[in-house]
Order: sequence, then C-alpha cells, then structure tokens
Amino acid sequence: MRSSGRWVPLVAVILLVGLLGTTALGAEPIKVGLHAPLTGFAAADGLSVRQSVELAVKQVNDAGGINGRPIQLVVYDDRADAKEAVAVAYKLIEQDKVVAVVGGSYSAPMRAVAPIYQQAGIPMVAGFAVHPDITRAGDFVFRCGMLGPIEGAAAGEVAGNVLKAKTACQMTMDNDFGRALAEGFRKRAGELGFKILWESLYPLGEQDFTPYITKLKQLNPDVVFTSGYYNEAAQFCKQAKDLGLKAQILGEEGFDSPKFIEIAGKASEGVIIVTNLNRDDTRPVAKAFIEDYRRLYKMEPDMVGASNFDALLVIADALRRAGSTDPRAIRDAIAATKDLQGATGVIRRFNKLGESTKPIQVQIVKDGRFRYFAEVGDPAIITPPEK
Amino acid sequence: MFWQQLVNGVTMGGIYALVTLGLTMVYGVLRILHISHAGVFALGAYIGVVALRLSPNLVVVTLLAMLVCGLVGVLMQRWLYRPLLGSSRIVPLIASIGMFTLMEDLFRLAAGPYVLPLPVRVPFGLDEVTTSVVTGNQLVVLSSAVILLVLAWFVINHTRLGLAWKATEQDFETAAAFGVNVDRAVAMNFLLGSAIAGAAGVLVGFYYNSVYPTMGSVPAYKAMAIAVLGGLGNVWGTVIAALLIGIIEAFLVISPVGLFLPRDSIAFVALILVLLLRPYGLFGRR
Amino acid sequence: MGLYQVTIAITIGIYIILTMGLNIITGYTGQVSLGHAAFFGVGAYASAILSVRHGFPFWAALPVAIIATALVGAVLGAVSTRLREDSLAITTIGINFVVVSVFKYSSFFGGALGIGGIRYPSFFGHMLTKPEYLPVVAACVALGIWFDRRLVRSWLGLALRAVGQDEAAAESLGVDSPRFKIVAFMIGTAYAGAAGSLYAHFMSFISPQDFGFPMSISIISMAVFGGLGTLRGAILGSCVLGLAPEVFRPLVDYRNLMYGAMLLLMMRFMPQGLIGDGSVIWERIRSLFAARRLPGRADERGGV
Repeated sequence: MRSSGRWVPLVAVILLVGLLGTTALGAEPIKVGLHAPLTGFAAADGLSVRQSVELAVKQVNDAGGINGRPIQLVVYDDRADAKEAVAVAYKLIEQDKVVAVVGGSYSAPMRAVAPIYQQAGIPMVAGFAVHPDITRAGDFVFRCGMLGPIEGAAAGEVAGNVLKAKTACQMTMDNDFGRALAEGFRKRAGELGFKILWESLYPLGEQDFTPYITKLKQLNPDVVFTSGYYNEAAQFCKQAKDLGLKAQILGEEGFDSPKFIEIAGKASEGVIIVTNLNRDDTRPVAKAFIEDYRRLYKMEPDMVGASNFDALLVIADALRRAGSTDPRAIRDAIAATKDLQGATGVIRRFNKLGESTKPIQVQIVKDGRFRYFAEVGDPAIITPPEK
Repeated sequence: MFWQQLVNGVTMGGIYALVTLGLTMVYGVLRILHISHAGVFALGAYIGVVALRLSPNLVVVTLLAMLVCGLVGVLMQRWLYRPLLGSSRIVPLIASIGMFTLMEDLFRLAAGPYVLPLPVRVPFGLDEVTTSVVTGNQLVVLSSAVILLVLAWFVINHTRLGLAWKATEQDFETAAAFGVNVDRAVAMNFLLGSAIAGAAGVLVGFYYNSVYPTMGSVPAYKAMAIAVLGGLGNVWGTVIAALLIGIIEAFLVISPVGLFLPRDSIAFVALILVLLLRPYGLFGRR
Repeated sequence: MGLYQVTIAITIGIYIILTMGLNIITGYTGQVSLGHAAFFGVGAYASAILSVRHGFPFWAALPVAIIATALVGAVLGAVSTRLREDSLAITTIGINFVVVSVFKYSSFFGGALGIGGIRYPSFFGHMLTKPEYLPVVAACVALGIWFDRRLVRSWLGLALRAVGQDEAAAESLGVDSPRFKIVAFMIGTAYAGAAGSLYAHFMSFISPQDFGFPMSISIISMAVFGGLGTLRGAILGSCVLGLAPEVFRPLVDYRNLMYGAMLLLMMRFMPQGLIGDGSVIWERIRSLFAARRLPGRADERGGV
C-alpha cells in the first residue's frame, strides 16, 4: 500500500499517549478490563461507557487507589459484536491478565463472553446489558443494571398507579431490550387491570415515527409506553408533538441522555421515564459522578455511563475488601457486596444469580432537564429472580 | 387518518427519492453500484452542521452542502472510479464499500459519535404551517424535494448535458464519436447526483434534527433496493418506486404485518416479489 | 498457543470456509452475492435448533445443516437465473435482510434473544475443549480446499468458469447456464452452512445480528481482497482481513478506520487483489517459480 506511511506518525502518537497514561503511579497497578462498543452503530454508548469508567478509575486512584495500588484500565472495542467480544475476552484474560472485567457492551456480546469469564474464573460485572442469560453463565458473572422485565414492570406501575392510566399503547423496539421491557409492562398492566389497546414493533434505528403516531392519535390512549435509545426516543417525542399526540409519553432508561432533550427540544417537556439515575440525587457519590463528568468531558452524563461507572465501583469496593488480587477472592467479595453507594443508587446486594437490587427512579423532563418525579421501591416489583 | 398517513408516506418517499436519484444517475452512465453515495449523503448533513455557523438559513445551508458534496462526488469519480473502469465490476463496488466505511469513521472521529442537532431556520416560516393533515416540517421536506426533483428533471431532459448523459449511457465510444466530452459528462453526472444527495442530507438532518456518523447506513442499502425496483439507471422509475415504498411502508408498519416484517425489509420484499415477475424492475429496460 | 490464539485461528478457519464458498459462486461462476451471511445464518440456526431442541450430536447436525443450507441456496440460485448481475447483487442483499428478519421476528428461531446453550461436539463421550475444536475446524477447511481443487479440475468446474467468464458464449457451446448457476449456489451455500454449524457450536450462542449484511460485506471483501476467482486469494484474504481487527485492536478508536482504508487502498491500487491472477505480487511469485522450474511448465494455471 503506497500511502501506509502516512499512518505511522498517528500510530506513534497513539502508542505514546497510551504508554504515558499507564505509568502515572508508582506502585504496581491492578489491571481491570473493559469491553465497550467504541466503533460501529453503538459508538455513542461506547464513548459514554469509556468516559464514565475512566472517570471512576480516576476517582479511585486519586483517592489513593486500592490499598495504595492504582487501578489500570485496559479498554478494547468490540463493536457490539459477539465474535469480536470473544476475542477481546481472551485477550484480556491471557495477554493483559486482568483480574476483573467491566462488561460495558450490549447484550449479544456480553452473553457470548459471560461463559468465558466464568470458565476462566475472572469476575465480570455487566453494566447495562439486559439479556437474562448473562448472569446465568455462573457465579463469576454479575450485573449492575436493571433487568428488562423489571424495568418494564416499573413502567407499568407508574402508568397504572402514579398516572392512573385506564388505557395504554406500547411502542416496542425490536431488539432483546425492547422486547423484555414490553413483556414486563404487559404483565404489570394485566395485574393492575389497565388495558393495552395496541402494541407495535419498530426496528432499532427507526427515524420516521409518523405512521405509528398517526395511528396512536386515532386510538387516543392515556399513556404510550415507548422503548428506544435516545435517538429513536427523541424522534418519537418530536414527531408526536408535531402531529399533536395528546397521550402521556412514558419512556425508559434508553431515553436517559442529555442528547434526548437536545434533539427533541420542547417536545421532551413532560416526558416521564423509568431509569436508574436520579439527577436530583444528593448522595455524594452521585453528585461527584455528575459534577466530575460535566467538568472533565464538558457534557452531561447519561444512564449508560452511570451503570458502568457503578460496575467499576463494585469491582473497586470488592478489591479493597478482598485485600488481594486473586480473582476468586474478588468474586467472593463482589458476592458479599453490601449497601454500596453508587451513582445509580444504593446497591443493596447481589442475589444468588448475580443480579443487583436497586430502587427504580422515575424522572420527568422539566425546563430542559431530567428531574425527580417518583421512585419505585416495591420489593414485589424490583426484586430480580434468583434463578 | 388516511390522508395524514398518505402524507407521511409521501414525505418519506420524497426523502428516498432524493437519496436514490444520484445513485441511479451514476448507475446510468457508469454502471457502478456507488455505495459511498450514502456517505456523501451523511457528509451533506455534516456540512450543514458546519455551515450553520455562517448562516442559519435553510437555503444557504443546503446550497453550501450541495456545493461541497458535488465537488466531493467529482473527486471520488476522478480518484476512485475512473482508474477502475477497466477492472471487474465488483472492484469498484468493494472500493466503494471501503470508502463508505472510511467516511463513517472519519465523521465519528471528527465530530464525535453523538447525535448533533441541525436547527436551521426555514424561510417564510414554512415549518410553522401545521394543519391536521400535514405538519410544517413535512411541508418543508416535500417542497424542497419537489424543487430538487424538478431541477434534476430539467437538467436531464432539457439541456445538452442531459443529452450527453443519454448518449454516454448507451456507449462511451459512440458518444465520444458524436463529439460528447465523455469525461466531462461523467464528472457533471457525479456533481449533480452528489449535490442532490448532499441536499437530502441537510433535509433529513433538519427533519429529524439529528446528524450522526452512521446516518447513511440504512439509506445505503434501502436506496439500492429502490434503485433496482425502479429499474437501475431509470430516473423517473426511481422516483415513482421511492414514493411507492414510502407509502407502502407507512401503511404496512401500523398493520399486523409490522409484527413480523421489519420496516427496513419491506423494500426488499417488494423488490424480490417484483423481480420475480419483472426481472428488470418496475420500469426497467433491458 | 493460548485460547486467544485458538479463538482467532478458529474464527479465521470459519472465514476461510465462508470465503471459499462465496468464491465458487462469485469468483468461478460470476454471480455476485452480497448476502452470503444469510446462508451462514441458515447453517448456524439449523445446527443450533437441531442440537439444542432435538438433541442431535454435532456430527449429525453438521451434515443436516449443510444440506438444509444448500437447499435454501438452490432456491436463491433459481431466482438468480432470472436476474442480471447488478439486480442480482442487490437482491442478495434483500435476501440477507429478509432471512435476518425471519430469525429476529420469529419465536421459533429464538427472536431477538437468539439461541443459547449450544454445546461443543463430543468425541466418544468426551466433550471437546476449545483447543480440541481447532482440529475439527481445520479438518473442515482442509476438506473444503480438497473439494474446491476437485471441482476446479472437473468438467463441472470448467462449466462454471465458462458461465462466469461469458455466459452467452457458454450457452452457444451448449452449456445450460441456469442449471450451472443453481449448482454453483448450492455448492457455495453448502460451504456457508458448514461454516454456520461450526460457528454455532463454537460460540454456543447465536443471535440474528451475527448474520447481517455487514457480515456479508466482510466475506465478499475477503474474497476480493485476496484475489477473486482464486482459492489462494480466498484463503489469504480471509487470513489478512480476519487478523486485521486483532492486529489493529490496540488502536481502539482508529481500528475500523484502518480496516476501511486498507480495503479502499487495496482496491484502488491493486484491483486484482493481493495475490489474484494478474496482480503485481502474484506475477512476481509466478516468475520467481517459473525461473526455477523447467521453462515448459511455467504457464501452468489453475493451481493453488
């Protein structure tokens, strides 16, 4: 290739920056791995994950590290692809010899690597991947984020008991996340006895919601429960306002990004979401996360980042309590996590399956910001399954 | 509800038509599946974001994007496609895919992976004219699409350039023998096709108020399906196919069909069904 | 060899089988297919469903998956006989999308959650480990190479190449081109079916997005990158582009960019592919060997 020489300076700079970054502290660092989808369709989430986990590492190291030793983060891109994630997992285990891993990628890649970490005996804490089988890989796999059906049930609770809806419609994104949410919402609706008039399925990445909204207008439900990531969410709300949809829009954690408000503009006002990050949280950990993130990256933090920030805190906390870097000891320490203060709330404990229990936050957009609206703490709803 | 749904469909159809038009024009003269056309489309939107600093006016922003995208299109033709004309036809296709991948990643590295807004100001306050059937934003997209399509129609049917394209379409050598400057005709073809893709990028960016690196991914293959459906190289067949797909999508996604057929596959199912009956597309010729 | 290297080797082995299959369809027979991943998926899902739900051992699921995929391939082959080359290329993209939609929207195929719990093959009651699975994949690659060589030297291979080079001329010589196109699709997709089965049992979990259009693009890029229409090109292209993501991995953010740039520059400056017929490197290798050999054998073609 003729012009390959042009890349040499670029490569050199990247390697140099990498080297400088890794030799900041004197004591031998503890290596923790991170999967993130830094390229491809999920690149925006990947960057949020990376920045948040790097922030968590910085906070831990600035506070003296783990008993004097700093954490060193090893980040690889898996493009949200299962094949690549498998290679990344082995690279982290065998070449980088990490002692624990933050699984900050989507469901399919995390589902593929969970058995690998289980077999290798390296603890993995998944951030926001929702596939139920991830934690079923075994006792080395944990999850910080919420399970889809639980989040959906919480949305059903908000629709039925807080908003007193009699009728609802569902706009469901066609991936595992959307389907899991829809299942939870449907179940809770049945329990509370409000009626679901229409359930629609739309493809991930959809931009044009006008056909769906036109039909929703005609059905005129009290609440529309919509799943989607921030771009789909913003399009839906924006077009719903343009077309004059009157129903209350109820979203989920995928909406939880400053980009949602930026793109949807005024159409985001009054939208209610179930999520795990409370912007009005006064606990020091949450405040430090939100404020440091703003200062360091000149942008607003989001839920995706917060979940993975907490995943690293879980590992750091376990490292401290384990007092060793033996992966088995770290696993046992994670399993014994108790009332850990995280950005997304207090992680009470991990159950036998490795799922965490946290109250679910309900936020509303007011004056262009997410604000506290309610909290769903009913154990009947938020307790994850044990097997 | 029927009329509003029809407007929804026609609006999408208009967007599809703008994205596909350049593709089918390029195919008409060069017989190349120009996948990176979708990269030019996304580039248009990014140029729009940059141009906002000069002027928030939709017309100014669109013209700037058209200019830059047109030039980039010509550069692509000169640097990438012209040297490859002699090789097997899959070579420019793979090169084009490489170029598209490269462009998507350049956008991401230059502007970040997050969605950027494109808050342009629309002349005459057209985007505020909302009625029960059509929203202001739809009106903006529809009228812009009509203007651009009429422009393309005029160039193709009523100028010497259009005539030169028709001659080149048949055969490079005969066209040259009749005094057509083939090289220039091909370059102008890329210029116009890419400029329209750039305009489409701005319009889509405005309509959804969002510009992001992978915004060309869905158009990349959906436009291909529409181009084949309309008969590759047939400009008017393409426009009609685009409108049809837009309308069919609008009505199908809210029907029970939407529960087992994703929207982005509808164009392909239509394509496969039509090709089984008419191998050259709806309006294609041999 | 650590599990990391084993994983990469197995992945590349699967790519080689996929690319060899596509090379038969697109390289030898000239039918551009941009939907090869669909057949990869058909093989993977067939094998996964047989082994998870019906208790088939890998050794039985593999051949059934191959046959099932070849049958689906025959249908596409039949469609292809009606289409001109560029329409065919786009239609194959369509086939890819429709097949993935079926996997994703139908609960029979596990829907968006995919299918998990696919086990590694057992050999006389012992479940193979990852390093032990590598020879299985390698054997399949070897079998694929052997079959390809047999095919190229047979009258069928000649007929396929004749259709690929000039369909009209082939027909005037009495070659029934539609029939040979269907045969080419069946053989090529059978390779994809084998690759799919190997992939499903290797990953133990499959989901629809593993078999999408981007995967098809990867496969055809490998075939063209190495040199379309040659077995050696298919193999080398799979190795180079299969390794590229791992080699570039430390670049993190710039990884995909390098991949695109490599593809673009390769096509732009070496359109015949790395070692395709007529490429600079291959001509040099050939002349090197020709100088050493007896002069009379220098023009032997069709070799690896």
